[in-house]
Amino acid sequence: MAGLLNKLRMMDAAGKKPAPKTEAQSNEQEHCYHKTFEYPLTLFCDRRHATPAILEKVFECSFPKSISPEDVLFLDSETTGLSGGVGTIAFQVGIGYFTQSSFVVEQLLMHDYPQEAELLTILCSRMRRFSVICTFNGKSFDIPLLRTRLVMNRMKDDCIPSVHADVLYPARRLWKLRLKQCTLGRLENQLLGVEREDDLPGALVPQAYFQYLKDRQFGPMERVLEHNRQDIVSLAQLFYELCRQMDQPESIEQGEDLLSLARMCERSGDIQRAVKCYRLCANGDTRADAYRALSVTAKRQGNTEAAIKLCKAMLNRGDDPIYAYEALAKLYEHQLRKPEQALHYTRQALLLLAEPSLVKTEAVQEKQIALQYRYARLRRKLSQCVGAKE
Amino acid sequence: MNLDQLIDNLKHDASFMNCVTEWRTLPATEGKYVDFPDAMDECLKGILRKRGIHRLYTHQAECYELARQKRDYVVVTPTASGKTMCYNLPVVSSILENPDARALYLFPTKALSADQVSGLYSMIEALGVDIKAYTYDGDTQGAARKAIRQAGHIVVTNPDMLHANILPHHTKWVKLFENLKYIVIDEIHTYRGIFGSHLANVLRRLMRLCTFYGSNPQFILCSATIANPAELASALTGREVATVTNNGAPMGERHFVFYNPPVVNKPLGIRKGVLPETRRISEKLLSNGIPTIVFCKSRLQVEVLTRYMKDCVRDAYGFSGRVRGYRGGYLPGERHEIERSLRAGEVDMVVSTNALELGIDIGSLSACVLCGYPGTIASTWQQAGRAGRRKDTALTIMVASSAPLDQYIIENPDYFFSASPEHALVQPDNLYVLISHIKCSAYELPFEEGEVFGNVRDTEQFLEYLTENNILRHLDGKYYWMEEELPSGEISLRSATSENYIIIDITNPTHHRVIGEMDRFTVPMLLHENAIYMHEARQYQVEKLDYDACKAYIRAVDVDYYTDADLNVSLHILDDLEQKQLPNGVGLNLGELRVSTIVKMFKKCKFDTHENLGFGVVRLPQTDMHTVGMWWTIPDHLAQKYTNDDLQGALVAVSNLLGIVAPLYLMCAPNDVRVVYQVKAPITDKPTIFLYDSYPGGIGLSEKAYQMQSLLLEEALKVVTGCSCDDGCPACSGPVAEIGVDGKQNAIAVLKELLS
Repeated sequence: MAGLLNKLRMMDAAGKKPAPKTEAQSNEQEHCYHKTFEYPLTLFCDRRHATPAILEKVFECSFPKSISPEDVLFLDSETTGLSGGVGTIAFQVGIGYFTQSSFVVEQLLMHDYPQEAELLTILCSRMRRFSVICTFNGKSFDIPLLRTRLVMNRMKDDCIPSVHADVLYPARRLWKLRLKQCTLGRLENQLLGVEREDDLPGALVPQAYFQYLKDRQFGPMERVLEHNRQDIVSLAQLFYELCRQMDQPESIEQGEDLLSLARMCERSGDIQRAVKCYRLCANGDTRADAYRALSVTAKRQGNTEAAIKLCKAMLNRGDDPIYAYEALAKLYEHQLRKPEQALHYTRQALLLLAEPSLVKTEAVQEKQIALQYRYARLRRKLSQCVGAKE
Repeated sequence: MNLDQLIDNLKHDASFMNCVTEWRTLPATEGKYVDFPDAMDECLKGILRKRGIHRLYTHQAECYELARQKRDYVVVTPTASGKTMCYNLPVVSSILENPDARALYLFPTKALSADQVSGLYSMIEALGVDIKAYTYDGDTQGAARKAIRQAGHIVVTNPDMLHANILPHHTKWVKLFENLKYIVIDEIHTYRGIFGSHLANVLRRLMRLCTFYGSNPQFILCSATIANPAELASALTGREVATVTNNGAPMGERHFVFYNPPVVNKPLGIRKGVLPETRRISEKLLSNGIPTIVFCKSRLQVEVLTRYMKDCVRDAYGFSGRVRGYRGGYLPGERHEIERSLRAGEVDMVVSTNALELGIDIGSLSACVLCGYPGTIASTWQQAGRAGRRKDTALTIMVASSAPLDQYIIENPDYFFSASPEHALVQPDNLYVLISHIKCSAYELPFEEGEVFGNVRDTEQFLEYLTENNILRHLDGKYYWMEEELPSGEISLRSATSENYIIIDITNPTHHRVIGEMDRFTVPMLLHENAIYMHEARQYQVEKLDYDACKAYIRAVDVDYYTDADLNVSLHILDDLEQKQLPNGVGLNLGELRVSTIVKMFKKCKFDTHENLGFGVVRLPQTDMHTVGMWWTIPDHLAQKYTNDDLQGALVAVSNLLGIVAPLYLMCAPNDVRVVYQVKAPITDKPTIFLYDSYPGGIGLSEKAYQMQSLLLEEALKVVTGCSCDDGCPACSGPVAEIGVDGKQNAIAVLKELLS
């Protein structure tokens, strides 16, 4: 009877051809890789912008009241895959933090699987010192993965700082409108002017590590570490750049970013700052959006007159007239209770929608139906009013 | 007429009784009760009393007792015997005692889990305690998932979800795994063959993780009546499992009628169709307002019969809601509505596929009509059990189709009533299945040297093999996962190999949709180009088969023919596992086979008449499958008695006959085993008949056939000698055209020689 191994091999032969066999090289390094790098503080913008109030507007969660730059730990990990299941390992973890004189990056890398516990122990001892952790997409990737690794090594996960500032979400809110994509690479390139040379693409990282396990050539690992260091420095820079822009909207040049920032402020309930931002971008490509938002805000605040003025200004400039007519119709119907005027503006909007040059998309058709509905209702209302008078 | 009058009426109806081959009356049985166990929570007792339950059935009490003793048990009961109480009582009382305790419920289908959870909810609600029971399946929303992982006391899911979603992410379920007290698996009889072999391995993985988290849950299993519930339960769980068979639920008098439609063409052995006959009988029940369930074998039959029945009851306003159809493929909301109206007694007749065979609560019906033999004894009893759920009289009428299996059953009622139901077989150590799950398990938790997966003694060799393929890294006494991807993603529990073909409907050019999948070995038969593929009673033509990309593109068509692929099978013996020579010189072997199949052409056959409309060419590569088989080698002195043609005819006939009886005695679907013959087998040069598992790696059917080979031959002989045809018919040895003029007589002679 053929041996089990032979049978297994035979099964394989029916399908794919076997990979070349490589002997597992044992690891000669007794401890995991652990090195520290320092960066000058001049790399970063003014860190005083990161007050709790600003941080809360940026990250939409609460922060410790007495936060200093030294309380934030920046973390980024390199893993053996992206599936997020329990078999994925963070073989390399980098952390960054500020001291009085510099920005420090500490990097850990396990030379082989058995060093995971050691890596995690060092990492936990560091994490314990900080009250805030900052990552890029760590909410759905790095931190759950780290928790999994801790559970698998029977270690407690209470060392992970409880406040988590994930830069991905505010970065998307602030910059996606302009940059379309918000990967860390694109953000650092567009906002920080970083040009990476000979960077190891993230997708190749797992295979590079498996190769290292097989052949023990550390070269590619240096590239992984280099990549990770840059990620951490960029992460810290973006963290403060977000705070700076939130704190100083007037310094923002791009209208789209201002518009996005205004929307962020509105979300966080800071209407004053939102209005300020909308005013700042009420020219150029973002003019129509800004006016529209300003008119909505005015209406919400009960300032009907201002809202009407803003809508009329939109009409004068030819900015999104369909919206402006409709908004005016609503204001006249509900706030000023002047159905005749409301009917007039509804008719104007419908006329514009009937333009033969307008492409009848689904959205246009829906708008048309809604306006026709409004039109009919206003007609009914008016005839009732007349009837009542008679 | 009420049911008793109708039964009397039928008994005096000569034309009906002429077709009845058996009328069996099973007497009523009294219920057996015991008082609530003292240890049971008072509040729980109160709730049960409020619902009119003052005592437990004996089997429920026995289960409760076993659970208290921390024993694993399987409870075997017919439908409507209060089965859910056998697990809900111990689980709920255990959570009442310790609010940290957790339980995992596994059901084979989503519909069933939803039904069971709603039952559980009402019990928990009545208790007024904070026990959270949730279903966790593909329909569960993202936000709810988190809450379930954290706080669910009872998590209700299915094996597929456990395999692909829970186990590979077990660190998110720490609470569940650390506190797992009970694993409840209902309807275990559905986990046979390849699905069961997979489940056994999923459970091995689960238990490995429980050990890691320091819990040691008990198993509570439920099964319909099968021959080997304890054996199946312990094969699935890898543990010794106590059996509870002492059913204490009362049962009314039951009538079981076998009805064989009259012969219309004797020489060809053609009978009246099963569908018109079922229709006639069902109409009679419907017109008397007797609540009835009709089971059909295909979704198409359900639709056709539902239409006939609806026509009978349609009122002046076109309303026909008293008759409903029910099958898979209906939307969940619609199915729930039908189930509800059945429970409420608003429906007189439901026409269903075996979708209603499992334990979904549909209230009480009085009669059951089976349109064709359901395929297994267990299934038949299960379906018949849907009628007469309370203490009243129940009637089941089984209408036979002209299929050989149906004819065997209908003509041999004693076989049906006296034989135990079938064995459910699983083969957890099937190489293909096992290696897949060892991979998954290694992903979930690194293996340590010397660790044993389930009870697989060769675990180390599997791990070495995976190391050799760079999937694992063996270092310092452990095996670490060394791949990027999650292995469970590409392993489906419902087929043997991971290479599944997806079936894409391209009828609507702007909206291609995936409507199903199929395993690699079946694809050449059913999805070759120009094949007519049936899905939900709709016909599709296969437009393109992208063999390398594992995709088949189909388009809806409306034609009056079906296609039948011509399968060429060649066998190659890889390994002899066991062999013996019988005194009559017949050689008997069990071994591993390579089955090479190739489809070179297909026939187009007209519906109804089955006449041949033409042929088509198929260009597909040969597929190879390694499996387990057993074979009879016929010695020269026996073979020499026949001319070559006669011998070939006899071998065809014997193969056909074995193909009929083997699924019966092995409890498997007719396609799970194949029987083929070779006039000159390559190795021995002798005439040989092979029987093999049609799953890669085998699922244990051939081993069983090897042990019961003489029984199979005897039964084959009974079928052919008992058949009333002259020279062979489709219901026994096969028609004359296939086996030759003397085929039937030669087959009888050969079988007798094999048995001598």
